[in-house]
Amino acid sequence: MKKFTSILLTSAMVLSMAAAVPAYAETDTIELDVIICQYGPNTNDWFLGSGMDGSNFVAKFEEANPGIKLNLDVVSWNDVYTEVDTRIANNNAPDILNIDVFANYANEGLLLPVSDYCPEELYNDFFPSFIDQSVIDGTVWAVPDLASARALYYNVDIFEEVGIEPPTTWAELEDACQAIIDFYEGEVYPWGIDMTTDEGQAAFAYYTWGNGGGFVDENGEWAVNSAENAEAINFALSLVQNGYTNPNPATQTRYDLQDMFAAGKLAMVIAPNSLPTYVADKGGQINMATVGIPANEGKTSSSVGVMDRVMAFKDDSAPDQAARNEAIGKFLQFFYDPENYVGWVSMEGFLPAVNSAVEALVASDESFGAWLDVLGSCQFYPTAKAEWDQVKQGVIAAEQNALTGADIQAELDALQAELVK
Amino acid sequence: MESSKHKWMPYVWLLPSILLIGIFVVFPILIVFRLSFSEISKAGVVGGFVGFQNYIDAVNLPAFKTVMKNTFWWVLSVVGLSTLLGFIIALVLNQKFRGRKIARSILIFPWATSLVIQASVWNYIIKYEYGNLNNVLLNLGIIRSPINWRVSYQVEFIWECGVGIFVTIPFVAFCVLSGLQSIDESLYESATVDGAGFWSKLWYITIPLVRPSLSVSTVLNIIYVFNSFPIIFTMTKGAPANKTDTMVTYLYMLSFYDRKKGPANALSVIGFLILCLCAGVYMMTVMRKEDEG
Repeated sequence: MKKFTSILLTSAMVLSMAAAVPAYAETDTIELDVIICQYGPNTNDWFLGSGMDGSNFVAKFEEANPGIKLNLDVVSWNDVYTEVDTRIANNNAPDILNIDVFANYANEGLLLPVSDYCPEELYNDFFPSFIDQSVIDGTVWAVPDLASARALYYNVDIFEEVGIEPPTTWAELEDACQAIIDFYEGEVYPWGIDMTTDEGQAAFAYYTWGNGGGFVDENGEWAVNSAENAEAINFALSLVQNGYTNPNPATQTRYDLQDMFAAGKLAMVIAPNSLPTYVADKGGQINMATVGIPANEGKTSSSVGVMDRVMAFKDDSAPDQAARNEAIGKFLQFFYDPENYVGWVSMEGFLPAVNSAVEALVASDESFGAWLDVLGSCQFYPTAKAEWDQVKQGVIAAEQNALTGADIQAELDALQAELVK
Repeated sequence: MESSKHKWMPYVWLLPSILLIGIFVVFPILIVFRLSFSEISKAGVVGGFVGFQNYIDAVNLPAFKTVMKNTFWWVLSVVGLSTLLGFIIALVLNQKFRGRKIARSILIFPWATSLVIQASVWNYIIKYEYGNLNNVLLNLGIIRSPINWRVSYQVEFIWECGVGIFVTIPFVAFCVLSGLQSIDESLYESATVDGAGFWSKLWYITIPLVRPSLSVSTVLNIIYVFNSFPIIFTMTKGAPANKTDTMVTYLYMLSFYDRKKGPANALSVIGFLILCLCAGVYMMTVMRKEDEG
């Protein structure tokens, strides 16, 4: 009896593992695996819970599109790269992915061109300057889902108390920092710098674009080691060395800076348009205003635009490719329908990517209009270039090495040499 | 009949565990070995065989030496000091005193709490702007202005080692304590009668008899600490420029931030082999001594 029981138990355990493999295969229903990034605390609730007028995106979509089933996951930004890469390595890429980068996936032939699935009317609704950011060799590989623009926020009360004007040039910035240090005797940090692995590439953009430099030259070729770039980063480092900034730029992220700003401990921070919402959520009551990011004397100030994307992966095993493409198109149409999209963008506190949403958003919040103007003049990261990941990590490493005493020009030269190798 | 049934019964009961270990431990290890010899694209697509190229690339990475040095000091300091301090604490907790049970319960807290929470809490404690440590010292009047407890990456790494030691001590202490409790009290009584002092008893009775417990805790600790990811990733993410990374955090950054998946797999295998070597040498030494003993 014991023998029989043990065999039964063992078989049950083994079979239970086998049973974990789904055995359903409905022929009429198209299933789409969708990965959405978690932009805020309400993202999951909106897509899967009850955050969309008591229902959720998936339920509403499936109700409106019988025959299409969404397996939608909301994944945090910390985990999304790990999850997507692992799925790709296991030949189990999602059908639809929302993420920031796309060039590697496109270059490796994993993506479908947007023209294969995006309805023309919707395609024409996207801001053309956004679509241009997702083009490689004349093909559009992804569509934008939202964007944010960065500007300099300053604490108006601190500026009035010290009796200074918001800076527009680097020289004015240094003077303002010194005035704040003198007035508050070090109790308030004048300037926030984030050179962490989270967003050190943004710091690189803020300073180099304000000095006529940048990641690429006028021909779109990598030019990370230009003299303008080295000068710009040296200027940023001088702010740290002079004690004008938060003390640990290599480990204090933008969110740490925003927390300090919300607590009134930081006078100036470069942040996206969602900062007022962030500060309010933290219980801060800061009298704040925005100006352009300061640039070097005689150079043009440039706002930094950050844009995320939605893309569709190929799936050669799908029995009916045309039906699958159509289903992906329906997903996009439903997502960007102003009735759904406007609520989502305003909930997340970002800027829209389609014209049809602008009117409703500006009507609900006037500040959107001003931010949309800023967005129009933004520069974006060169994410369409295959080496972007390497450049992003490379400039962060260069900044962090320079923070510990290395020569920034030598660091950038080494990165450039690696890029052109 | 009965004995032949008993011969294979243990294997039947072990089968589920063996299957689970095979699927979730051995199989992934074999996959990592294979990947370390394969070309892997930035997006994670596995290509053909590339021989030792990934290993060559991994060893030639600019941060490789720093990371190996950090890993050495991380394992040595955390395992070494937590073993020493855990041993001392176990000796104290083995004494009879009022509140011993409470002291033992408190000791387990750092070990029972998640490492990410521990590391985050320590991040808050040593924060410059509104950290608890500065607040306490300011309120007690010991310091006049806040101190930047993370003034350089070397100091940050020392803090990380400190947190590592703090969370590892309870494990060692409880391992040693279990060994201490199994020592027959009469041995100490006879030694006392023979005129042995504290140090003699410690050296000739306690240490030899707790050595098996200590061996187990040290080997397990070397493995745990070497593979420990949360403390360093939560406190510094290896910044600045991998100067506070250990091998495990570095290979994660290499794979998912730098997208150098081939070298990351190669590093993973190197780490696995180092660990096998350390654990093997240690086990052999200890087992030989025990056999001699």
